[in-house]
Amino acid sequence: MASLKETMTPPALRATSPLRGEALRIRHRTRRTALVWCFLAPSLVIFLLYRIIPVIWNLVLSFQYWSPLSEAEPAGFDHYEDLLQDDVFWQALWNTVIVIASAPVGIAIALMLAVLVNSDIRGRDVYRTLIFVSYPLMTVAVAIIWRWMFDERVGLINYVARSLDLVDKPIPFLNSFTWALPSVIVANIWQMLGFYMIILLTGLQTIPPELHEAAAIDGAGAFHRFRRITLPLLRPSIFLAFVIGMLNSITSFDLVYVMTGGGPGRATEILVTYIYKLGFVQTKFDEAAAVTMVFFALLIGTTWAANRLAGGNVGAQDIE
Amino acid sequence: MMLRYPRWPIHSALVLASFVMLVPFYWVLKTSLTGDNIYAYPPSLLPRNPHLFFYVDVWYAIPFARYFLNSVIVSLIAVAGNVVFNAMAAYALTHGFRGKQLVLMLFLSCMMVPFQATIIPAYLITGRLGLLDSWLGLALPQCSTIICIFVFKASFDAVPRSLIDAARIDGLSEWRIIWHIMMPLSKSAIATNVILAFIWSWNNFLWPLIMTRSADMQTLPLGLARFLSYQEDTTGALYAFCIMVLAPGLLLFLLAQKEFIRGLTSGATKG
Repeated sequence: MASLKETMTPPALRATSPLRGEALRIRHRTRRTALVWCFLAPSLVIFLLYRIIPVIWNLVLSFQYWSPLSEAEPAGFDHYEDLLQDDVFWQALWNTVIVIASAPVGIAIALMLAVLVNSDIRGRDVYRTLIFVSYPLMTVAVAIIWRWMFDERVGLINYVARSLDLVDKPIPFLNSFTWALPSVIVANIWQMLGFYMIILLTGLQTIPPELHEAAAIDGAGAFHRFRRITLPLLRPSIFLAFVIGMLNSITSFDLVYVMTGGGPGRATEILVTYIYKLGFVQTKFDEAAAVTMVFFALLIGTTWAANRLAGGNVGAQDIE
Repeated sequence: MMLRYPRWPIHSALVLASFVMLVPFYWVLKTSLTGDNIYAYPPSLLPRNPHLFFYVDVWYAIPFARYFLNSVIVSLIAVAGNVVFNAMAAYALTHGFRGKQLVLMLFLSCMMVPFQATIIPAYLITGRLGLLDSWLGLALPQCSTIICIFVFKASFDAVPRSLIDAARIDGLSEWRIIWHIMMPLSKSAIATNVILAFIWSWNNFLWPLIMTRSADMQTLPLGLARFLSYQEDTTGALYAFCIMVLAPGLLLFLLAQKEFIRGLTSGATKG
């Protein structure tokens, strides 16, 4: 214990001779470095086990024939070639792209709401809470809630549509090839809306109000101010919301799994549900790994494109 | 702001938005209290003869207590892991050391790997560790979170250097500096860590779905999904179950809303 205490004391306080001081300082520094790595170790181990190694393993697995019962054999690009012929894969990929493309719709609505709750009206905190409250909810429960809303016989949406004479007979939203995917997307936007709003609100609050006041004095209308001041300054926040929203929504496995299970047919199959089914229902781990690689490439590609459009390295720049 | 504008359009738009956000809750709450419109058309908009029968029914229909216990234990492990490991990692990152840039790069790139893209190897790795179908295995992937590490780091960076040096001169070990100096000064960072870790773990579905085998190890979201697949939409108990599962997360969120939002937005602006 004594040695630990000694090394933790700044050496300058103890050093009697310069030589001893130098030796102590080196010992002190190595000891400090060792401690730093010890402190980092648990987190690093978790990230290695559940982030880094899986990515590498996935890559390797996608080039192998492998199942839990057989030895690994090199497969070259066989799995990827199979995917090209796989209609389900293309359907899942297309659906995933549609889900990604739906994120801007949610962000646009959220932007409107963010501007509104940023104005100095009474009760804005209450509005913020009410709009945000769906985000931290368990997605499985959200899926059940929305199944019930979309229900063919007694769902509220069909009831309202029939009461207003918008439809002749109820629409079986989640059993319809046309409506199933849009329905899931609606539920997804409903859950993500408050999150987008908070991100955009944080961005809005960094815009100095003097800019708006000066522009207003110069005679710029509200719409003009929004287009010329708010939107350009908000660009990083918008793209940040898009990137995080995309990460969240294309991974919205829970919602699809519980609301439709990927059906009817394959109408709502997304890449993650397909990976799950290939891997854990059909035990084709190697093929699932190949789909995962495509999924991963899509993620990285979209994020990269969004970052480019945002004009720089969103978010990352703040960390030293 | 000095700008003048009428308030009522803003209020009406926000009331409409809040209405859209709340109606689904109301619809499910109403069904859980009455169950009367499961076969009836048209559904009544107001709850008629509300009763708590379905909430009691849940206890008989499924092993609710067991699911609840599993969820609580897994969440507690995840919360404890997050607070301890993240604080340690964040404290390490407040020091300068060789390889720090590498570690930061690693953390940032890990943030770009969603858990869903790792499920197959994660399952195989957990299998090799012998942790399949166990509480620890359920919690382990979530025991440290990068966003939360940066929340701690921001808070630790604000602690004056002189205080830490003084503690060192008094002979406190680095370990005790974390727990006796840093942590008491970072209460809101701790709160952010606790609430984010709890909600993420409480709501997690895909991981328990993959790695639990026995009915005994299932958590609430799994139980909910299973209940749905057995019963379809035919009983009010499903919606009572829904409300019971949502309540703890909702309550925690309403209590610690500020910390929750702060965690998300700091995660957002800090990468």
